[in-house]
Amino acid sequence: MCGILGYFRKGGGTDGQLGATMLSMLEALGRRGPDSAGVALVGPAHRAAYIVRVQAGDELEMSKQAIEANREAIQIFARALDGAYDLSCSGAYVRFVLAGDIDLPGLTSVIESLGEGIEVLSIGRAMELSKEVGSPHLLEGKHHISAFAGSHGIGHTRLCTESTVDLSHSQPFWGRGAPDVAIVHNGHITNYHQMRRKYEQRGVRFVTENDSEVLAVYLAESLNRGDTLRQGLDGVLRDMDGAFCCLAVTATEMGFVKDPYAFKPLVFAETDDFVAVATEEIAIRSAIPGDYKVAEAQVEEVRVWSR
Amino acid sequence: MVEIAAPVAIDAGTLSIREVNALIRTRLQSGAAEICVANPNARHNLGVALLQPGRVRFLGSVGYYCGGLIDGTEIHVEGSAGWGLAESMNRGHVVVHGGAGNGAAAAIRGGTIVIHGDAAARLGVSMKGGLVLVGGDCGYMAGFMGQKGTMVVCGNTGHAFADSMYATTCYVGGAIGNLGTDAVVEPLTPEEAELLDRLLTAHLPPALRAQKPAGRDFTKVVAGRKLWNFDKHNWKTWQDAL
Repeated sequence: MCGILGYFRKGGGTDGQLGATMLSMLEALGRRGPDSAGVALVGPAHRAAYIVRVQAGDELEMSKQAIEANREAIQIFARALDGAYDLSCSGAYVRFVLAGDIDLPGLTSVIESLGEGIEVLSIGRAMELSKEVGSPHLLEGKHHISAFAGSHGIGHTRLCTESTVDLSHSQPFWGRGAPDVAIVHNGHITNYHQMRRKYEQRGVRFVTENDSEVLAVYLAESLNRGDTLRQGLDGVLRDMDGAFCCLAVTATEMGFVKDPYAFKPLVFAETDDFVAVATEEIAIRSAIPGDYKVAEAQVEEVRVWSR
Repeated sequence: MVEIAAPVAIDAGTLSIREVNALIRTRLQSGAAEICVANPNARHNLGVALLQPGRVRFLGSVGYYCGGLIDGTEIHVEGSAGWGLAESMNRGHVVVHGGAGNGAAAAIRGGTIVIHGDAAARLGVSMKGGLVLVGGDCGYMAGFMGQKGTMVVCGNTGHAFADSMYATTCYVGGAIGNLGTDAVVEPLTPEEAELLDRLLTAHLPPALRAQKPAGRDFTKVVAGRKLWNFDKHNWKTWQDAL
């Protein structure tokens, strides 16, 4: 089943209630996906630095000592990096900011080689990704997403229908290799194995068995090639088979694509101030008061909002 | 915000859906002419399986399956509706002021469903009777396998319109995305044009009716009946349909 949602403030200011709104939407969709919850939130952009978020290990699969050792290794590595600052730890997460231009794929693979189970969750100038196995309430408890000030973001509650339930298989997925790109997905990509094989033959590394990951890989490649988000989402419609609703963010945009069969629900509301997208209207109504219309997205519909 | 026109009988905000529906049923059984339900908050399964006459007004949006399986009740939704609006209704009258999600009016046997806004995919699939009238556009695969009844869409339709139908009659005021398998356009008779004018005037608020096409400007779509009986010489049509 799964629940996906997105919220976009058209004014773009980052002082508002982004985190609180997103949490409220997530909670309303919690019963569509009790397995895990996560968000990719876009805050104020660092002009000359990247925010790096790393998961030191999965608390459900690894011992506390192993995670502790990984966390230590990441911190030692970060402290030794030229231009790294604001290093912090929260549970199995390590976050730091890195100034200057970086080789994204290079940095990602170096960090992930520091220890078994380490995974870079996101790198971006403005976007930060948090996810946890369990409920939105648990996500809030560990990451205090309600306090996040930002302009837009996407979220996910997961009901796992294939692959496994763990942190790494949870959503959102970062578009590895592309800064500030993330997706959430509700549905099934039926040509996942063909697409994955195609990418793997070109040397792309997949970190999960989750079919949604291929959407993140696809969009990252598309945007790195210089496509706009709209072109990327149009491409999803052209190249992916299955029943899917996918929401994506970049540093300045949010967009969705809906499959050709309308097997998965997706509704959206748009006013002069905001855009809210969710699997069910209940998520929008319970989070955002006021008089506005909510409409169901049509088949093969692609919409992108930017500022 | 929605103006509350009548005394609010039920505040759904603090109740479970089971409690809300039980209260609606009790009030209908005791002969209440109109029941207002405040704070429906787009929750699912509101007003399902109501079997008594009477009017229920939801003062806001409803979620999935609102009005499903009802028999004889009148439901007004002062907002939008989610998937499966009034699915398998036997008799009754359902009005939605906003839009409706996928599968509205699916498999209804009778009654009337009026959607002032747009309807999403699979509107009125497998209808077995009744009337569904959409003020705006409808999505993909509307009317699929419709067996009886009438579908009126004032705006445009999505693609695969009226696919594989038995005998639902469809009228479209705008552009047809494309016709489904075995769907054919048939000339509109003057009596039908008149009937459409009557239906639109009866079911849409005057200001909304004024924005819609005149009855004579609708396109009529029915089944070409080529799929009614299997014919091996017509194999191509079957391949396309399946």
